[in-house]
Amino acid sequence: MFNEFLTRLGFFATGRSHTEVDEEMRFHLERQTEANIRAGMSMEEARRQAGIAFGGVERTREQCREERPGYWIETLAQDVRYAVRGFRRNPTFSLTVVLTLMLGMGSTTAVFSVVDRILFRSLPYGDSSRLVSVGLIAPIEPQEFMLGGSYYEWQDHQEPFSALTSEIGTEPCDVTESNPVRLDCGRVEGNFLPTLGVSPVIGRNFTENEDRPNGPRAALISYGLWRSRFHLEPGVIGKSMRIDGNSTEIVGVLPKGFEMPRLQSADVLLPEALDVAAQRRADPGHPMWAFARLKPGVSVEQAKAELEPLFAYSLRLAPAPFRKEVHLQVRSLRDRQVHDVRLAAWILLGLVMAVLLISCANVASLLLARGASRERESAVRLALGASRMRLARQALTESFTLSAAGGVAGCLLAMLLLRVFIAMAPDGMPFLNKARIDPRILAFAFATSLLCAVFFGLLPGMRKASTEALTGRTRTTLRHAMLRRWLVIAQMAVSMVLLAGGALLAHSFWNIERQSLGMNAENIVTAAISLGQTSYPTQESQMAFFQRLERNLRYGPGITAFAISDSLPPGGFHRDSVYASLRVEGRPALASGTGGTVAWRWVTPEYFRALQIPMVQGQGFTDEEISSSDRFVVLSQSLAGRVFPGENPLGQHLHLAGGALAENNPSYTVVGVAADVKNGGLAGGEEPEYYRLRRQRAQDWDRSSVLILKTTLPPGATERWIRSQVASLDPTLPVDIKLLSERVDKMADRPRFEMFLVGFFAFTGLVLAVIGLYGAISYFVAQRTQEIGIRMAVGASRADILRLVLANALRLIVPGVFLGLVLALALSRVLSSLLFDVGPHDPATFAGATGLLILVALLATLIPAGSATMVNPTVALRCD
Amino acid sequence: MPQPTDLLQGTLDLLILRTLALEPMHGWGIAQRIQQASQNVFQIGQGSLYPALHRLEYKGWIEADWRASENNRKAKYYALTRTGRKQLEAEIQSWDRLAGAVTLVLDRG
Repeated sequence: MFNEFLTRLGFFATGRSHTEVDEEMRFHLERQTEANIRAGMSMEEARRQAGIAFGGVERTREQCREERPGYWIETLAQDVRYAVRGFRRNPTFSLTVVLTLMLGMGSTTAVFSVVDRILFRSLPYGDSSRLVSVGLIAPIEPQEFMLGGSYYEWQDHQEPFSALTSEIGTEPCDVTESNPVRLDCGRVEGNFLPTLGVSPVIGRNFTENEDRPNGPRAALISYGLWRSRFHLEPGVIGKSMRIDGNSTEIVGVLPKGFEMPRLQSADVLLPEALDVAAQRRADPGHPMWAFARLKPGVSVEQAKAELEPLFAYSLRLAPAPFRKEVHLQVRSLRDRQVHDVRLAAWILLGLVMAVLLISCANVASLLLARGASRERESAVRLALGASRMRLARQALTESFTLSAAGGVAGCLLAMLLLRVFIAMAPDGMPFLNKARIDPRILAFAFATSLLCAVFFGLLPGMRKASTEALTGRTRTTLRHAMLRRWLVIAQMAVSMVLLAGGALLAHSFWNIERQSLGMNAENIVTAAISLGQTSYPTQESQMAFFQRLERNLRYGPGITAFAISDSLPPGGFHRDSVYASLRVEGRPALASGTGGTVAWRWVTPEYFRALQIPMVQGQGFTDEEISSSDRFVVLSQSLAGRVFPGENPLGQHLHLAGGALAENNPSYTVVGVAADVKNGGLAGGEEPEYYRLRRQRAQDWDRSSVLILKTTLPPGATERWIRSQVASLDPTLPVDIKLLSERVDKMADRPRFEMFLVGFFAFTGLVLAVIGLYGAISYFVAQRTQEIGIRMAVGASRADILRLVLANALRLIVPGVFLGLVLALALSRVLSSLLFDVGPHDPATFAGATGLLILVALLATLIPAGSATMVNPTVALRCD
Repeated sequence: MPQPTDLLQGTLDLLILRTLALEPMHGWGIAQRIQQASQNVFQIGQGSLYPALHRLEYKGWIEADWRASENNRKAKYYALTRTGRKQLEAEIQSWDRLAGAVTLVLDRG
């Protein structure tokens, strides 16, 4: 066997000279001739008979050559050479095919790589398909959560899960020893890791004892922290680390890819150590997030049904007016993680499939046209003795060569696109920054385009070439013409859908950018500061720090207004309360249900001046009120209108804390009504809002605040100055300084990203569809050169010819656009949740997109139409 | 004389190997030998003989070298290799099985 291989290899390398074969055959002929002479023939006759007996010398020689192991490579090389020569003869054709394939494959691969990470990635947990997220949803928190008051009841009595676990969130924490650092600490229940099916790479999970209040302090550290702080030393287990001033033993290291189920970043896991007995009695108890593992054979729906009695128990604990607005939620962990990205991901997938469709149609249509125009060449080659197999192989080689070129270009495009995506992606898109070009996906896209190219490349060759083709006077068969027509119509339709989607999102983005935020974000520098747990343990110390900082900053260079708040409009974090918890002194409750949510912030008096939020009524907070022991509130216009319809709200007294006892629910005096400010994000709805005054009292302060500085200096200078002032008070404190306009701009990242993507695909689709249409019309003109010549010869004017071509183009454009409009109207509802201030069927947008498509399509037909009018009848008629 | 019969597919290889098992031979000699041995039933078309010889050579079953022929003319002589000898045995066996089976069917019929 091995011998045989070596022999073959030897021949493969050396080949064999023709002369050797010739020599052998000559010898054969001579011997035959001799034999014939011996049998009594004349010399002449003997040679003739030997020749006849031998048969075709050339054929034998050829057959001997075909037996060579390297023969197929030889012909392949020949085919490739032929193909490349053909491409060079017709560079427009080849370039179009390659570019089309590149666009189709490149965008498909890039987008699939992104979407794959979001929708289909494997979660870093054991048997993650059985993990679910369990909890309650309420208007104030639309993602499911749990409360300590009922969680333990659920844990004791639930049936559908093999385990139920919880985490109570992550918070910043400080490592307070040499080399101090701020970390994220997550607090989890003792059975958290086993339920998720995760075990530490070294060390162990928390013991039961460690998850009790005042139990031994233990911590699990992330792989990243192990590497950065402990250099992957296994000896880290058993070491102690001071976290927020407490000596804590490191008991284990989490696996490399570990992530929290809600995807918060966590460097350290600590036990919840909640007092279970106290939690059971508490109302509502500690907020937490619950995750569970389904028992084998139990579906998510079954689990939800089985939890109903426990849910009813939780509802009984909730205040009566809220019960109707609280619901039970059980969904797979993956669903929770992709939540609002899901729709975007599917839309992306749809877009890219559309582009792939168009590009495949383009390649198909181009190859069909080429096949048709080569009918004559094929017929000639067949007549000269080429086998059908050989012709098919030739066509295949061409398709393969084109696909390969397109594939390589597509790979490059995919890598480029992926970089653009990652650079542009908003923060809220999880995993996008980890997206890589997946070889499987690349192979899939490659195979698709190859299949498409091969199929449509072979199709023309499969047909019986008629001898008529030799005359060069035949028309392409009707079947192919029809197929091509439909391909172009389909392209126009898909392109219409893409354009409509792109136009809707562009319109929506325009609305977002143009809307009034209700404030002026120009020249505002913001600095977010979160004080550490150990250095600032009390509210007094926190207030003291911020007040000292305010004294140092308020009258600094170029500062015209200064305020401290706990959150910033127009989006992101702000405090929330429910409308029903507001109560006007001496009046009945305002709402029967929750009444929806109300946003609120802690602010200092200059907040409104700094952000240029106009006071509609009253004068807002004043400096005297800061030192008052009374409490003051400013309402937003919409809230004032709702609480005090038709009344003067100024001087009214308001309780903000719902049904709580009188001593915990002080009364606030309304001192102003401020104009409405956007507070639900750029595209979100606006909530009514109120502002509480931060006085010189410790109870009004906490560790996180945002400084708001209106400045006349360049922002860079102000930023440096703020940093130096903060550092002079506490050099270790991290400060996040940004222009407010930057923060606002960042909120537009998501809609901008969506618009860019859809716009990109709409543009790509349009270009491809127009190329397809252009190709179809030029082909039409080329096929009919003779007919056009005859028409001109018998008196048709140029306008007539133009009309002929345009009519043909319109027969493609109109049905395509019509079909596309129907599809777009049906599909655009998918986009409605991404749209801001524009309906999914907005007539103006649709009219614009339709107009654009028709215009571009007509422009694309004008070029071949123009060349049709230039046909010289005498030349056209003379050509064969 | 009976009409020359078409060779069964693949049989030519067997015949060539069998012929070469006696002694190294050149192409013409092989053709003659097969023709004589089969009493003129098989007339090997040269068009199939030489490609077959080359094929067998590429497979490593036979090897060739140039040496002087009977009449002192340089000719290409083919000889069986070791693998070729093994292959011949295998082919003879499978041929026997085939022929036996055909005979059985014919007898039964």
